[in-house]
Amino acid sequence: MAQLYRQYGPVVYRRCLALLHDREAARDATQEIFRKLLMDQKKLLERESVLPWIYRVATNHCLNERRNRARRGEEELQPDLQLRKEAPPDLFPERQLAQRILARFDEETQAIAVGVFVDGMEHEEIAQALGISRRTVLRKLGRFVENAKKYMLRSTG
Amino acid sequence: MMHPSALRLEAHLLDPARSPVSGHVEGCEDCRAHLLTMERQGDDFMRYVYPTTVDTLVPKTARRWSWAGILAPVAALAAAAVVLVVNKGPPADYIGTKGVAIKLNVYAGLEAGARALSDKDQVPASAALRFRIQPARPCHLGIVSVDEHGEVSQLYPQSGDVAPTLERIETLPGGAILDGQPGPERIFAVCSADPLPMQKVEAAVKTAAGTGAASVRALDAIPGLPSGTAQATLLLEKSR
Repeated sequence: MAQLYRQYGPVVYRRCLALLHDREAARDATQEIFRKLLMDQKKLLERESVLPWIYRVATNHCLNERRNRARRGEEELQPDLQLRKEAPPDLFPERQLAQRILARFDEETQAIAVGVFVDGMEHEEIAQALGISRRTVLRKLGRFVENAKKYMLRSTG
Repeated sequence: MMHPSALRLEAHLLDPARSPVSGHVEGCEDCRAHLLTMERQGDDFMRYVYPTTVDTLVPKTARRWSWAGILAPVAALAAAAVVLVVNKGPPADYIGTKGVAIKLNVYAGLEAGARALSDKDQVPASAALRFRIQPARPCHLGIVSVDEHGEVSQLYPQSGDVAPTLERIETLPGGAILDGQPGPERIFAVCSADPLPMQKVEAAVKTAAGTGAASVRALDAIPGLPSGTAQATLLLEKSR
């Protein structure tokens, strides 16, 4: 167990740092995520599929933590997510994905949007990591882009 | 240019030899810079997060060692240029004519390949180890280790209280991974003609080792084991 924690702890910690931008919060989240992961040790030992699974659990946990912060009124304190260079500039002209946009979508759509625009994952890769079909990724991503554009138009217009 | 995703870079860090993106990474300055940042964050985890959180996640007794299934193949071990053998010989209560002699070889799986370790060698605190045992005749084999906190770990057999019989020279299946904590770690291999309860061995080591780095370094034999029990020991200095 300790070896698994040493091996995959850095992966989870980096994921939490990327999504929470706070060392203390990332440390607490890493601990919490590993508590969940260790409850399913058999899966942790399946070497081929373990990394995407860990990544998914960590992503969901940290996005949830961001939502909770927003609910507690701490939204202003958390920085927006930095977009990858490849993300379309017309969609996010400020090169950031704002929590107020993310918060308008369900958990899975949030994970897809972060995966594509923040992590630079391909559709197939994100489908595998989230355990859903590529079609679902495309459908939810399309809806996200469409609604995010509408929301930005409304908020700037 | 499409760069590898954050997840692919994580997979790359975990296993660079099998990474499908290593070609891209080699020629991509941005990716190398990103990997450097990731490595720094990983160091941050090992330095500040792991030590303060491991206690709440992993019980101490289960934490010190973990078994590794994939280590250097036996052929690679046998081909190691220098095979260092540490055989401390029996303690004062050893009756030579009734006992068995034993030699313990310990190998570390390092980035550069398998290396035979000698007494007081420095090894990475999370190094993977394998053990090769040479008994003069069939005997019941057990391997334990103790650290500076007086924590004793049973390394062989991996579970159960009865030391299994070792018929001949053998590299033990699997291996063990050090606990990641710097400091001395002393390993004992004990071999007895009669079945040997591991609990008894662990208790004897715990009593003799006490606590403290100096005590572990100085303990070169386990006193109080049954007559005819041979033992060998190796001291490792785990470092970051």
